[in-house]
Amino acid sequence: MLVTALPTIAVMIGANRVVRGVAITNPTGDPTLSAADELALKRTIVSRALEMMEADVPPGTVWEVKGE
Amino acid sequence: MNAVHFLNQFFAGCGGEEAASQRPLRLDGAVGPGRQLDIAVSATVVCGDDYFGEMESEALGQLLQWIEDEKPDVLICGPAFAAGRYGYACGTLAREAVRRGIPAVCGMHEENPGVLAADGAAYIVPTGEGVAGMRKVLPRMSDLAHAVVEGRAESAPPGTYLPRGQRANVFVEKSGADRAIEMMLAKIAGDSYETEAKPPLEKVPVPQALASVANATIALVTEAGVVPKDNPDRLEQCRAKGWHSYDISGLDSLQSGSYESVHGGFDVHVANRDPNRLVPLDAVRALQREGRIGRVDGFLYSTTGNCTATARSLKFGREIAQRLKEIGVAAALVTGT
Repeated sequence: MLVTALPTIAVMIGANRVVRGVAITNPTGDPTLSAADELALKRTIVSRALEMMEADVPPGTVWEVKGE
Repeated sequence: MNAVHFLNQFFAGCGGEEAASQRPLRLDGAVGPGRQLDIAVSATVVCGDDYFGEMESEALGQLLQWIEDEKPDVLICGPAFAAGRYGYACGTLAREAVRRGIPAVCGMHEENPGVLAADGAAYIVPTGEGVAGMRKVLPRMSDLAHAVVEGRAESAPPGTYLPRGQRANVFVEKSGADRAIEMMLAKIAGDSYETEAKPPLEKVPVPQALASVANATIALVTEAGVVPKDNPDRLEQCRAKGWHSYDISGLDSLQSGSYESVHGGFDVHVANRDPNRLVPLDAVRALQREGRIGRVDGFLYSTTGNCTATARSLKFGREIAQRLKEIGVAAALVTGT
């Protein structure tokens, strides 16, 4: 399962479970946040990815980090 | 028009695997499958698969000398089908012949490592995996050899040979903007349209969902070029030649200064201040401690996904997946650009 800030390309080439990352330079982080807030964000992103590992999805599915 | 034909020990009739160390050999005229090539073969050069693999420069030296002595219009190698060592020898020999001004035509399966070895120099007829295709492949190779020598290979129908990584310019009446708008309008209207560029990759079926990550082992994989400080394995910034694994079993986080990214395709300074922004090990460990994740494999699997040759990317993915399967990893968390 893939976390990337370029999910369109990922799906185009055949990735099936994709979570949209924050930015190209920091898919699983955010330098504008405080360290504590950033860790919380990282946990949210990883948790989303874990949820996706446990979900039956159609081919080429992209989830945002929040909601769905 | 005359050709030289390159065969391995098996197709030249020297023997099977036991003859894989066959030293280079030169025979007059066509031998074995070469006899069914529809082109005059003045000489056949032969090398054992293992000999070529282990003594590449010696093999090339001898084979190229014999080939150049014949002054052929074209060198024909194989077909090697899916045979990796043979395909590698074909691709390498073809590449070196082209460097010396002799066009080369090969035949092999598109995933044969010989395709990468040829590095775009040779015209490679795509074949199936098995030798059963021989009778159909030889005429395609002969036809392509004629086309190459006569300078008309580039106008052959798509699929005649594998992409060589070269683009040929053609003039068309309508600009790209016009063609793109027309294509979009057709798509919106539900009319048929033909894409001009196709992604060359297979569709992978969706792997079955895990029942629960709390009972599973996951692995961390990245194409963001994350490596220990000083890049001990010299992972490339682009065109990665391989992937590497790094022991993270004792780590709760990827510390700035201990780990870094060598990816040449994006600005890494944000990530280098906190490499967990590329591989979120800190968050993974927190969730692991809380029981949300069962186990995390002890290694980070890392490569650089920047201008990576598609065939190599596929190869790396398969190799890493194979390793993960062998050690019982149920899911990979892959992060990157």
